Amino acid sequence: MHAPRRKAFNSINAASLARWIAITAALALTGLIYVYLTLQLHDLGDRTKALENDLTSLRAQNEVASVQIAALTSRSAMQRRLKEGYLKMIPISEHNIVRLGAPARPPGEDAVQSVANQRAGR
Amino acid sequence: MKWNSRIRCALVCLGFTALFSTFSFRLIYLQMIKHDEYAGLAAEKHVYKQAIYAERGSILDANNEVLAHNAPVETVVADATHLNNREVLIPLLRDALKIPAGELSEKLEGNRRYIVLKREVPEAVAVALKGKLRAQNLRGIYFERDSTRIYPNGPMLCHVIGFTDFEHRGIQGVESSMEEYLHGQDGYRYIEHNRAGQEMVLYRGQERTPRNGYQVRLTIDLNLQNIVENEIDAAMREYTPQKATIILMRPQTGEILAMANRPNFDLNQRSEAKPEQMKNRAIIDMMEPGSTFKIVSAAAALNEHKVRPDTTIFCENGLWNFGGRPLHDHRAYADLSVRDILVKSSNIGAAKLAMSVGDQKFYEYIRRFGFGERTGIELPGEIGGVIRPPQFWSKISITRIPMGHEVGVTPLQMTSAMATIANGGKLVTPRIVKSITTEEGKAVSTFSPVVLRQVISPETAAQIGNALRGVVSDQGTAASAAVPGFAISGKTGTAQKVDPKGGYEHGKYVVSFSGYLPSEHPEFVGLVVLDDAHTTKPELNYGGLVAGPIFSRVAEKAARYLDLEPHEELGKSPVAGRVALTDASRR
Repeated sequence: MHAPRRKAFNSINAASLARWIAITAALALTGLIYVYLTLQLHDLGDRTKALENDLTSLRAQNEVASVQIAALTSRSAMQRRLKEGYLKMIPISEHNIVRLGAPARPPGEDAVQSVANQRAGR
Repeated sequence: MKWNSRIRCALVCLGFTALFSTFSFRLIYLQMIKHDEYAGLAAEKHVYKQAIYAERGSILDANNEVLAHNAPVETVVADATHLNNREVLIPLLRDALKIPAGELSEKLEGNRRYIVLKREVPEAVAVALKGKLRAQNLRGIYFERDSTRIYPNGPMLCHVIGFTDFEHRGIQGVESSMEEYLHGQDGYRYIEHNRAGQEMVLYRGQERTPRNGYQVRLTIDLNLQNIVENEIDAAMREYTPQKATIILMRPQTGEILAMANRPNFDLNQRSEAKPEQMKNRAIIDMMEPGSTFKIVSAAAALNEHKVRPDTTIFCENGLWNFGGRPLHDHRAYADLSVRDILVKSSNIGAAKLAMSVGDQKFYEYIRRFGFGERTGIELPGEIGGVIRPPQFWSKISITRIPMGHEVGVTPLQMTSAMATIANGGKLVTPRIVKSITTEEGKAVSTFSPVVLRQVISPETAAQIGNALRGVVSDQGTAASAAVPGFAISGKTGTAQKVDPKGGYEHGKYVVSFSGYLPSEHPEFVGLVVLDDAHTTKPELNYGGLVAGPIFSRVAEKAARYLDLEPHEELGKSPVAGRVALTDASRR
């Protein structure tokens, strides 16, 4: 007589399965985050480079402008404009000049300093 | 023996173990033992050391006006292996860079990877060209950032500023002498490229930021320089001399306020200049100074108490035979005081003054005034002049050297000697650099006045100064050097030109005037030298008649600019108002 046939079931350890799924998901998420952050870093790098290029370009434009300003305000340019009649020089009449004496030089500019009080050196 | 399944299985496992162990060991060998070697090889392929160039410092005048600075430019280069459409590219480059198509085709032939197409391409042109290349998807053309030196004032102050070479290294003037400060320090960065040749910013390695060059501030005042430049140009037109030099110096500090030479050249077109135009004659040209040198013999005799200013010396009625050779004065003088020897510029009187102190002592005074050695100014190529020691003098040297013959001095040495008289007998080192600062204006180094030595006593200097006031009077040789409203001390010089073949050139003279203003509190010392000036009549070719008036014009305008108050009793200045810029062409 045959014993009643029991259906063979492979039992699933739900807790273990859930643990593995969680671990796998976490690993996958970590991987994805890693890839995402790496791409972000590359993107930031590209933006940094673009900004650096912009900055360099702006600096170059600034330098070009400085050169133009220096050229236009240089002594020879002013004199040329004076000759061409674009500028006019008006002499300052004597009564309009107020003489204030020698301007004070910042200390340390030259070793020889004038002393206002003659007694100071005695 | 019969192989059962268990043994076969074990052997297969062993085989696999051995195989993977071999792989593992190889991996360990490559990754750990050979790591540095292979990492280096990989880095060589992908990692580059990118230079970050420092910017050259600017040169400024005493009032911070720009004399030299940088303009960004680009160098256009090509990689022939990357070119994708030469037919379209060549006409485009031809129009943008103004290079003939034939030359371009020749350059782009073959497979060279680095071809310089054009240097110093202006930034605007480079930007436009980049846009066109991008729009037409043309590859193989690259742009390298560079800079070029710009001198906004062109020829003004060219000998002092100097210029740089192809590699941005100073080779003349302040550009050369201040190279270590102006040059700066280049930086670098290690970068990695991807396959497309683009930088991967994420993998940037070690980096060192560049340090830009320092700013060099000169003692030159561009307003005074402008006055001097205009007057020297006017003198060139009027007298057409071979060479000319004007120097202005502040005696108390040795600061050079202005320095101009002719012939000159445009700093922005220096490649077209001839070597003769590039010489800073104020420091590298030697001349026989003529009578301006008499201040040395008079100073020596007075300082040694051999004579007093009112001591009279017999001047042999204009002709003195000494050592078998005649010595002339331009007029027949009998007895002249020491003061009048300077005022009348007597050669015989000056010779007798030098003889009163003796060869050796006179030579010592010449050297103490700074002749025969470099002044030490911060400019390259300065010469020391030629002063022979007494053992090499001829019998008549003691009569010729006091009148400025048989010696070779530079215009700067002569200015410095006159400044010694103006400065109470103190010899101060001439200097052209005021300070060195960072871009932000923080001082890196400041140059203080250097008093080299007390050459003569203040009393002797005052006595010489008083005598030199007489030179610029109706009785003196340089009445036309006077400036209304100011007392001037000065000395004229007229020396026959030395012939390189020996002897002197007939009818050719080096005329000069050196003086300071105001006599009582000198604000500046000036020197005017004209080599082989052409006057309407040969008898007019004298220092007092040619160089004196030039000094007068320079001094008057300089005094106005420096706001020196004229003395009422010395006459009012004829020109009303202050003039900052002169127009020499009006004369």
